Amino acid sequence: MIADEKALSRLMAASQRGDKQAYTTLLEESSRWLNRYFRRKIAPDQLDDLVQEVLVSLHRKRASYDPARPFLPWLAAIARYRWVDHLRSAYRRQEQAFDHEDPGEEGGQEAVLARMSLDRLLENLPEGQAEVIELVRIEGHSIAEAAALSGQSESLVKVNIHRGLKKLSALIEKAE
Amino acid sequence: MKSEIPRSLIDELTDELEPVRVMSASDGIAMVLMALAISIVAVAAVGGLRDGLVSSPPPTLFLIANLLYLLLGLAAMTAVINMAGPRVGNRHDAPKWALAMVAVLPLAAAVSYANPDALFHELSDDRYGWQCAVYGSLAAIFVTAALLLWLRRGAPVSPERAGLWSGVAAGALGSAAYGLHCPIDTISHLGFWHVVPIVVCGALGRVAMPPLLRW
Repeated sequence: MIADEKALSRLMAASQRGDKQAYTTLLEESSRWLNRYFRRKIAPDQLDDLVQEVLVSLHRKRASYDPARPFLPWLAAIARYRWVDHLRSAYRRQEQAFDHEDPGEEGGQEAVLARMSLDRLLENLPEGQAEVIELVRIEGHSIAEAAALSGQSESLVKVNIHRGLKKLSALIEKAE
Repeated sequence: MKSEIPRSLIDELTDELEPVRVMSASDGIAMVLMALAISIVAVAAVGGLRDGLVSSPPPTLFLIANLLYLLLGLAAMTAVINMAGPRVGNRHDAPKWALAMVAVLPLAAAVSYANPDALFHELSDDRYGWQCAVYGSLAAIFVTAALLLWLRRGAPVSPERAGLWSGVAAGALGSAAYGLHCPIDTISHLGFWHVVPIVVCGALGRVAMPPLLRW
């Protein structure tokens, strides 16, 4: 079970003061939360790398967290930033099947998680852009395959990916 | 598939942990206001302040224009400072409204002339127009530096937007600072040439700052 929001905020505030025990717990809890957050929105073999990138970002940018505010919206903004960054980077075709495990009910935080979810970010894109980003950058299909699956031309798929990723980066804090 | 908690990374990060000074918005605001004060001192030292700035009541248009630039600069500055501490749910809409209010000035300048030719002649006959545009932009340098330092310490998640509003903030505050020197109070001069630094710095910030802000 993942710790609740108030506990996470307290752990982060203690971490900012240099409390190593609190920090270990915070990183463990954040790692669990991020695994759930990114599930099905990243190729399975890249999930660990992305979680680790976010943890390193959390470490480097910990001074930017305001302890008077909730922790998870701050972590979610950083997670979204790293995720969009990841989608932008060169993508190798992934052959592995996706994990369709049910996210389950954990910690009574489903409403909070849903509000800050990556789906909510994608919902703010035009349908054509969101569809091809999911097909190519998340599921790993080629441009030709995405064109066939979406009914868009190959050049339109490329344009929609480019425009969609640009728009995603502008929506990181807004879309909730 | 279940992912494992990256134990070795967590241990490494914990070993490296040291106390940090939390970035508070008041520190950022103080830093930018200090930069603005340096800009004003530089304007006063290089060009001098306009005659009668303190001794007599300033003209209404001078007050309206420069206070609008100051408010736009402060609104954009506050938004940029908050962008350093990201959060899903943050809104940075205030500077958009302030920018819309400032846009009233060039609009008023345009409609106050009978036709575009008359406005064009007025602007091209303004011997000091380019001077104000260039020096107003140069006065933005200190605020730009302060905002850049602040953002690089923080975690801006939209570098393009942070760059754009940093440029707008710096341009507006630079224009307000240089306005303390400029003795011309016509609507065409204040509403056009003193808006140029906002447009130029905003465009430069949007283009040049994002590579410096990515993390």
